[in-house]
Amino acid sequence: MLEAIPADQLKHVGKKTDRIDSKAKLTGQATYVSDMTLPGMLYARVLTSPHARARIVSIDTAKAEAIPGVRAIVVGDELDYRLGLYVVDKAILAKGEVRHYGEAVAAVAADTLEIAEQGVEAIEVVYEELEPVLHPLKALEADAPLVHPDLSDYSYMEAAFTPQPGTNVANHTKLRKGDTAKAFEECEWIIERRYTNPSVQHVPMETHVAIVQWGHDDEVTIWSSAQSPFTLRNLFCTAFGMSHQKVRVIVPYVGGGFGGKAGIGIEPLVAVLSRKAGGRAVKLTATREQEFSLLPCRSQLTYNIKTGIREDGRILAQELTMYWDSGAYADYAVNVTRASGYSAGGPYDIPNAKVDAYTIYTNKPFGTAYRGFGHVEFFWGLERHMDLVAEAIGMEPLEFRLKNTLGPGSTTLTGEKITANTGNITKCLQTAAEAIGYRKLTSKEKAREKETGLKIGKAVVGLHKAPAMPPFTATTVILKMNEDGSVTANLSLVDYGQGTYTAVQQIVAERLGFDVSQVKVAFESDTDRDPYDWQTVASKGLLLSGNAAILAAEDLLKNAHEVAAQALRAQAVDLAHDNEKIFVRHHPESAVTFAQLAIGYAFPNGNSIGGPLVGVGRYIAQGLTHLDKETGQGLPAIDWTYGAHGLTVEVDRETGEYNVLKVVSVFDVGKVINPDEVRGQAIGGMLQGLGTATCEGYIYNEQGRLLNPSFTDNKIPTARDLPLEVDAIAIETPQIDGPYGARGVGEHSMIGVAAALGNAIQHATKAELTHMPIRYEDVWRALQKREPVDNWITKSPYGSCRSAPEIIKHDC
Amino acid sequence: MLHEFSYVSPSSMDELLTFLEESGERSTVFSGGTDLFVTIRSGLSRPDFVVDLKGVKELGLLTFDPAEGLSIGACVTVNQLIEDTDVLRHYSVLRDAGSELATFQLRNRATVVGNVVTASPCGDMSSPLLCLGARVKLASAGGEREMPLGEFITGVKRTQIAPNEIVRAITVPIDHLDAVGGYKKLKRIKGHDLGVVAVAMITANDVSRFAISSAAPTPVLLPDFPANVEVAEVQKAAQEAISPISDVRCTKEYRSFMVDVFIRRLMEAA
Amino acid sequence: MREITLTINGESYTREVHEHRTLLHFLRDDLGLTGTKEGCGAGECGACTIIMNGAAVNSCLVLAAEANGSVLETIEGAAKDGTLSALQSAFHEHHAVQCGFCTPGMVMSATDLLRRNPNPSRDEIIDGIEGNFCRCTGYEQIIEAILAASKEGKSHA
Repeated sequence: MLEAIPADQLKHVGKKTDRIDSKAKLTGQATYVSDMTLPGMLYARVLTSPHARARIVSIDTAKAEAIPGVRAIVVGDELDYRLGLYVVDKAILAKGEVRHYGEAVAAVAADTLEIAEQGVEAIEVVYEELEPVLHPLKALEADAPLVHPDLSDYSYMEAAFTPQPGTNVANHTKLRKGDTAKAFEECEWIIERRYTNPSVQHVPMETHVAIVQWGHDDEVTIWSSAQSPFTLRNLFCTAFGMSHQKVRVIVPYVGGGFGGKAGIGIEPLVAVLSRKAGGRAVKLTATREQEFSLLPCRSQLTYNIKTGIREDGRILAQELTMYWDSGAYADYAVNVTRASGYSAGGPYDIPNAKVDAYTIYTNKPFGTAYRGFGHVEFFWGLERHMDLVAEAIGMEPLEFRLKNTLGPGSTTLTGEKITANTGNITKCLQTAAEAIGYRKLTSKEKAREKETGLKIGKAVVGLHKAPAMPPFTATTVILKMNEDGSVTANLSLVDYGQGTYTAVQQIVAERLGFDVSQVKVAFESDTDRDPYDWQTVASKGLLLSGNAAILAAEDLLKNAHEVAAQALRAQAVDLAHDNEKIFVRHHPESAVTFAQLAIGYAFPNGNSIGGPLVGVGRYIAQGLTHLDKETGQGLPAIDWTYGAHGLTVEVDRETGEYNVLKVVSVFDVGKVINPDEVRGQAIGGMLQGLGTATCEGYIYNEQGRLLNPSFTDNKIPTARDLPLEVDAIAIETPQIDGPYGARGVGEHSMIGVAAALGNAIQHATKAELTHMPIRYEDVWRALQKREPVDNWITKSPYGSCRSAPEIIKHDC
Repeated sequence: MLHEFSYVSPSSMDELLTFLEESGERSTVFSGGTDLFVTIRSGLSRPDFVVDLKGVKELGLLTFDPAEGLSIGACVTVNQLIEDTDVLRHYSVLRDAGSELATFQLRNRATVVGNVVTASPCGDMSSPLLCLGARVKLASAGGEREMPLGEFITGVKRTQIAPNEIVRAITVPIDHLDAVGGYKKLKRIKGHDLGVVAVAMITANDVSRFAISSAAPTPVLLPDFPANVEVAEVQKAAQEAISPISDVRCTKEYRSFMVDVFIRRLMEAA
Repeated sequence: MREITLTINGESYTREVHEHRTLLHFLRDDLGLTGTKEGCGAGECGACTIIMNGAAVNSCLVLAAEANGSVLETIEGAAKDGTLSALQSAFHEHHAVQCGFCTPGMVMSATDLLRRNPNPSRDEIIDGIEGNFCRCTGYEQIIEAILAASKEGKSHA
């Protein structure tokens, strides 16, 4: 789909273009689901579990039912439905047993929020507390309690996943490339370490919210702050055994998602409340606190990396073992596990690899997609490891990386051949290094060190990611020409801030030869009226929907030219057009305007031809395969976006306090469609990555109760936390099947930032950090060689913030 | 708020105190509401009446008199305090601490007195006020009383205030007028955060005073030191006086360590 | 219930309000002024920032009953006669908006900042918006927009 148009002939693609949604948002006129009310609407509140694992002995709703204004109460036992995209393992409300702190146990719909809350408070639940399994490695032990004793009864996507009934393993992704055992024998060094990170919350500014009306004749309408209207509808219909045409999902403006609003969420719960309330619309808005534990988070990861290096510094073999803590439900975590598994070696050429990635059930809030889809987590370990290996073998870390990057001729872990058009990781690394003056301190930096007494360190890390999606992922864009010759695009990819709709506008305008002002991309997606899109996830939107937009524009033009040929009594091949009209090339005065053609062309005598003009563009991922379950070999990646971060930090060697001075992020985006939006994605994701790196993470007590489910103790970066200097640089190695050569960059900006910080701190101070986030205290402990502090599960020997572990060096 | 209550807005001190006398523990007073409404929202507080102090004009007064010192009325916001030129000139440590409290828009509502009365160990205003020898003026229908701030705060979120009583004002004497000093606060991010541990210091008239927050159930005031005291001596006294805990914010070891660091930094800067 | 009268964006409103109702919920639910958002309800995120009697406040921690007699400014009043304010225009031009949920509160904080300090430094801008979380943009383009708006304000002066 690469349109080989020289950059200087492009009118819209790559040019500064206003966001189409920002004025509505700047005036407060953009309507989000949280802003909506419907006639007669009821308000819902949810009763959640105070325990990590407990048997529900009884639920007494009598007192709640007696409260005037309470219209519906639902509990788990009355609901016989199960939800899931990849592993169908979750009930709408806990049945029989609660599996995590914060799990929904009952819900109330009432005339007002106040009454609903009174109703929730009046429900009496008797629990029998059970011993929770909290750490994934404990969960693997033979005598560990089973989070899902009924795992064998659950359905799942069999082509991709391998649940192991009778254990807490929801999935085991295996990959075998070459022969690691043999390769290790040829290695000069073998270095093995373990890296960890806790669960993290997405923190969209708009919490999850849905309004559902279960109407007459089982016609269900769902308004939701969701990323993926069609997958939401599909999962809903599958769970309730309903025909898809019965269910309508509408997604207006969405206040952020970051993966947390993919798939399905609170909608089924709201739906059953509405059904029980006789079809009145019901609205449920998650509180900020519920966002942390009722709604899903990002999975905790324990990552073990064993790397064999040849005498000349080439990586010969890697054994990569991931323990993904999915929490109580693994629906989405299994695919995070799979996508991370096949990507686990990073943008490096690993001839022999063995990957074992496990998704493990525990009694904690459950994991789902989060910007980066596993890569933020495992790149923490991987890029820390690259530095530690370099140090152990006496090589400069960037040189070590550059010696091992993927390039034309090398193959990925799954056996995919890298070509010149895949992207250029080497250039990303070099550009990032140059941008921060990687190899030495500037005179200004030296002076700063002298003045502050703080030590400056710099680091460069690489990254890659491909969209994690089924091989048959598809989308459609429909272009409708309006009476005045302008066009309106409909698609069900959701723009919840990424700016994809503006990019689609530019692409459509470019391909039509129109002004951007003539192209509207309609906000609010509606499964009854808009064409299919799988999900808005995985940084696949620009490539797939961009291509569909080009095809839709071509279809529209073809249809318009056909009618114009009749109207002008000309050969279609002799026609050309500008943004107003179609004309005969050799008689330009012989022309018909798009406005004349838009709803069908009428000859002067009233005879008419054509009909309303539409263009349809359908696109489906090309040439992908499932991965072999034993070897992991196959083609999972529609494209790879490479990138690098250069980071400069100054550290107080006494206290561990640090200031991030500069971050420059570089991505090979193929082709920049909208420079400001690339920059916004790059810097926004970088700071979100820095949040993950510095301060965010779930902290539990030994009973599995989440101790920091609010902004009081789960901080996110503020404007004050932005590094002193930030920049973003785009490299353009065109993606042959990308729209105008573009590939996605939505998630990539967040990946690797934590490792860049950890490496830069180590370069400055020698503090060895293997757990993120990196709090000042962690740096202090590492510097003091003190016992690492462990408050990720307080007083537990597991999940620890290990800030000073030993390097396991194997004798060769 | 999902908890339903009545809003009461007395317009005079008499009216206010009479209402409190009659309603007792069913009432909670507020001015900024930045603590009360958070605790009501989370279900920790369920008053029947919330009583707005802002209608009582005298409670909004911030006054400075070179002979009497500073008087901070119950409704004086943190931003009012830190923007006040007399405060800046004569009690700069209050400005230092106040500007570290939460966010700009919160400080437009949050009051100095409220921050003290809340008696959270991590409140930003108590330790500098302790250094300055502040006193608490209480009022009830039965009369007025007054006590040193150090006696007023008795534990975590506990004070000597009675249900029928309000803190009318906090006064700061002239004993330490024009003191130099500062406020060091450990946060988890660069942006707004409550104090993980904090130290306030002032030096005036050859006396140095230190107070420490988030390192014990109440803010801790160290004994007076001569201004030329050694850093180590202050650190030793501090470590003896504090009893930090480990929690989700920090461990006790790091709290203790940072107290020493902050003491040194404050003394070096003075 | 109690009757309050207040001025919002130059227009007078008289309404009966529940005494436990926050000003935020009064604006959103009683008046339908949903431009002001709720992000946490606890005064941490700044999404509900409005200007009350000339001062930026978190409207989630103010009671509607307290606001009797107040003069309020919300995002709905920022554009005049269909024209974006200089600040809003700068946000638009600098792509300082992504999901848009923090945007109204952010614009109100920045409006208040530029009134107090028409020509703020980068650092002063950061101080002014520190109380407004944005999870999408990383703040950089917001800071650039406010800087641009302040310079523009100066050149028009």
